Amino acid sequence: MSDAVLDKQVKKQKTRKSKIDPEIGVSLSWKTLKTQKQLIFMSVPIALYLIIFNYVPIWGWLMAFQNYRPAVSFGQQEWVGLQQFKFLFSDDTFMLVLRNTIAMSFINLVLGTVTAIGLALLLNEIKLKFFKRAVQSISYLPHFLSMVIAAGIVSTSLSIDGGIVNVVLMKLHLIKDPIMWLSEGKYFWGIIGAANVWKEVGWGTIIYLAAITSIDPSLYEAASIDGAKRFQKMRYITLPGIKATFVILLIMNIGHILDAGFELQYLLGNGLTVDYSQTIDIFVVKYGLAMGNYSLATAAGIFKTIVSVILVFIANNVAKRLGEERLL
Amino acid sequence: MHKTAKRSAAAAAAGVLALTLALTGCGSSNNTSNTGTKDAATGGNASPAAAGDDTAPVTFSVFMNGPGQQPTPDNKILKLIKDETGISFNMEFLVGDLQQKLGVMIAGGDYPDILSGDDKLINAKAYIPLEDLIEKYAPNLKKHYGAVWNQIKDESDGHIYVLPSYGVYQGKITEPTYQGPGFWLQKGVLEEMGYPTPKTLDEYFDIIAKYKEKHPDMIGFESLNFDWRVFPLQNPPEHLSGHPNDGAVIVDNNVAQIFADKDISKTYYKKLNEINAQGLMDKEAFVQNYDQYLAKIASGKVIGMFDQHWNFQDGEKSLISQGKLENTYIGFPLLYPGAEEWYRDRGAVGTNRGFGISINAKDPVRIIKFWDKMITEDWQKTLQWGVKGEDYEVNADGSFYRTPEQRANADQTSWQVANKISGMFGYMPKIQGTYSDGNAADAGTQPQEFFDSLKPYDQKILKAYNKKSWSEFFKEPKENNIYFPAYSIVLKDGSPAQLAQSKLNDLQIKYLPKAIMASPAEFDSVWQDYVDRIHKLDIKAYEDRMNEGIQQRIEKWSVK
Repeated sequence: MSDAVLDKQVKKQKTRKSKIDPEIGVSLSWKTLKTQKQLIFMSVPIALYLIIFNYVPIWGWLMAFQNYRPAVSFGQQEWVGLQQFKFLFSDDTFMLVLRNTIAMSFINLVLGTVTAIGLALLLNEIKLKFFKRAVQSISYLPHFLSMVIAAGIVSTSLSIDGGIVNVVLMKLHLIKDPIMWLSEGKYFWGIIGAANVWKEVGWGTIIYLAAITSIDPSLYEAASIDGAKRFQKMRYITLPGIKATFVILLIMNIGHILDAGFELQYLLGNGLTVDYSQTIDIFVVKYGLAMGNYSLATAAGIFKTIVSVILVFIANNVAKRLGEERLL
Repeated sequence: MHKTAKRSAAAAAAGVLALTLALTGCGSSNNTSNTGTKDAATGGNASPAAAGDDTAPVTFSVFMNGPGQQPTPDNKILKLIKDETGISFNMEFLVGDLQQKLGVMIAGGDYPDILSGDDKLINAKAYIPLEDLIEKYAPNLKKHYGAVWNQIKDESDGHIYVLPSYGVYQGKITEPTYQGPGFWLQKGVLEEMGYPTPKTLDEYFDIIAKYKEKHPDMIGFESLNFDWRVFPLQNPPEHLSGHPNDGAVIVDNNVAQIFADKDISKTYYKKLNEINAQGLMDKEAFVQNYDQYLAKIASGKVIGMFDQHWNFQDGEKSLISQGKLENTYIGFPLLYPGAEEWYRDRGAVGTNRGFGISINAKDPVRIIKFWDKMITEDWQKTLQWGVKGEDYEVNADGSFYRTPEQRANADQTSWQVANKISGMFGYMPKIQGTYSDGNAADAGTQPQEFFDSLKPYDQKILKAYNKKSWSEFFKEPKENNIYFPAYSIVLKDGSPAQLAQSKLNDLQIKYLPKAIMASPAEFDSVWQDYVDRIHKLDIKAYEDRMNEGIQQRIEKWSVK
């Protein structure tokens, strides 16, 4: 192909593009459909997947308004209106588990984000490749442990019988006698928070590290020329550079604020700490699934979903007002 | 050129789409083709039962709801069965998650000929009723289940779907190893203290206190309060007061009531509170999980605990494999003053646990006749003891025993898979107790044989107590009450009774450790708080349902 022909083609494409002005660009016209039919075809399976697995099951929400009994046909189910929700919100235990869930989730969110950003900043400053990689690998390996094993490690290290936490604290003369960490409700949230940091910090760091590497190095050079020190560079270049990532992740995490977790709390909790350890998910398993009360479990699930959606929208709006990156 | 590229892209996209559709549709299409082939196979294999040909070769497929080991293809017992009945088996043991497996089976209606018992399968109508078949073709089975005939019927519709594998006894119950509840002490401890036999809580904790004084790094009294394994903490009061294990209720004169708030409970937990103050209770008992509990027992450091033997047996097995026999345990039936012992019980019939015949079975009559043959004493001896002269010997007075070599064989897995069908036999109807000639049902329950198979250390301990088996530390079990055990009475899902039971359980899990770990001065106030909270629950709904269940069982289960 000659240069002239190529040039012509490029021009042609350009003119065609310019025809789609911003307003028509978003609306679906047959023409755009036709020009993008490969894309459309490729997205059909994804759309099907979403419809089948994420939208069709919403049908099951009807269960929450029934006194659902398995093996009875849909038409014969007993409709009870909002009774399940009423039971949920009048139950003392539910209010307690709601508090626990929000508290632990909040702790996890704050601790998890702060430590992940902190570790990413520190790792970014390390020039020794080998050391940096070693730290990264070691810190994200616990992410791949199953929760059962993680809980075992946590409870073993908190044991009064030679658990490492008590041993270290005693050697440092911070405490006199070993403390039974898992027997007191007041320690429980902290333990869950710390355990989550230990398990997930390396994994969370990866995203922030990736965001940091995309910052233009010339900014750092310019700052150095202007006489910026290490901490100033961190503060004025690195942190603002990863702000967008941080905000998006925050919005996404806020949607999960009622998912404080199930396994860790279930495995580490015991009779003595039950007032602090039970989360919504455990409540649902105990009073919903285990007792065959699927309607109650569904009602709790709907409550969780609705709260999450509202929170995401609020967070998104706040971000918009503040002129930040948004998710939606 | 441009055009072709475009076209091929479109073709590719269409290809992707087609593939996705094929994948999404794959589940159902696969299923139909499977059932298709299966039906064909079934058709080809069906044997003409009506023709009365009972030894024509046939293969039945069998599903068992637990993991197990496949017998070798040349398995001795399977060969005997095939020679005599023409039947061979295609065994499938559970791999992975049971609920998932059952779900798939039920969804596809794809059942093997013989199915192990399961409530879920019963609800899905996967079994055929067996009572008419038994009446017609299986006199031996009818005789075997005679005394429990009404009990093994399904509660909802009165049909027999599953033939229970365990809990039907005849003759004498000889059970040398004791699996039930008790207050356990290490053999080494007993040896050092001069073989005492504690009868009360005071005597028992006295032994622990004295021993721990001399060996301060040992753990005094251990307990477990984890997940569904909370009974080591909840059940002692009912045993101490002379009741059998009915779960959360005690039953006197056929009337059930909870005992969690009664004095028999307070006495026990107050005692634990005392020993906790003395430092005899394991501090971590209530925060540990089951694995940690087993690990502690396997370390040999625990002097004693209350538990059911099967619940801590894995820890003990580890001790045995480490050769630390002196750290294994003997159970004692402690009692409150004036109470009559009822620790050992006669194991209730394991309703719905055994084998049933599926609705897809090709020849139910043949299967029922097969089981009928297997329940005869001759076959039971072959299945449980093995082949005479090869796997066991008979001495002059007619009692069975094994040579040391035969014992060593029987312990080996490789020998077992070639010479026994333990996996499948576990689900088959079986004789327990003794045969009509006085021999025990299997080698493990033959008293002399059991004693001879013990290690010298164990024999020494038993001799010191002048006993022949571990269960002799407990009284012979009384005849079960007809409704026994009350804990197997079904509470309807979502009913007030079930809610009350669940809340009571939660209260116990929370308050019992609190009461035990409180300082002795505070015990009474914590206890009062606990009892007050129990009384706020709808306990009456729970007790009413239990009593209703007991009355129903008395009425329905009695064989007149």
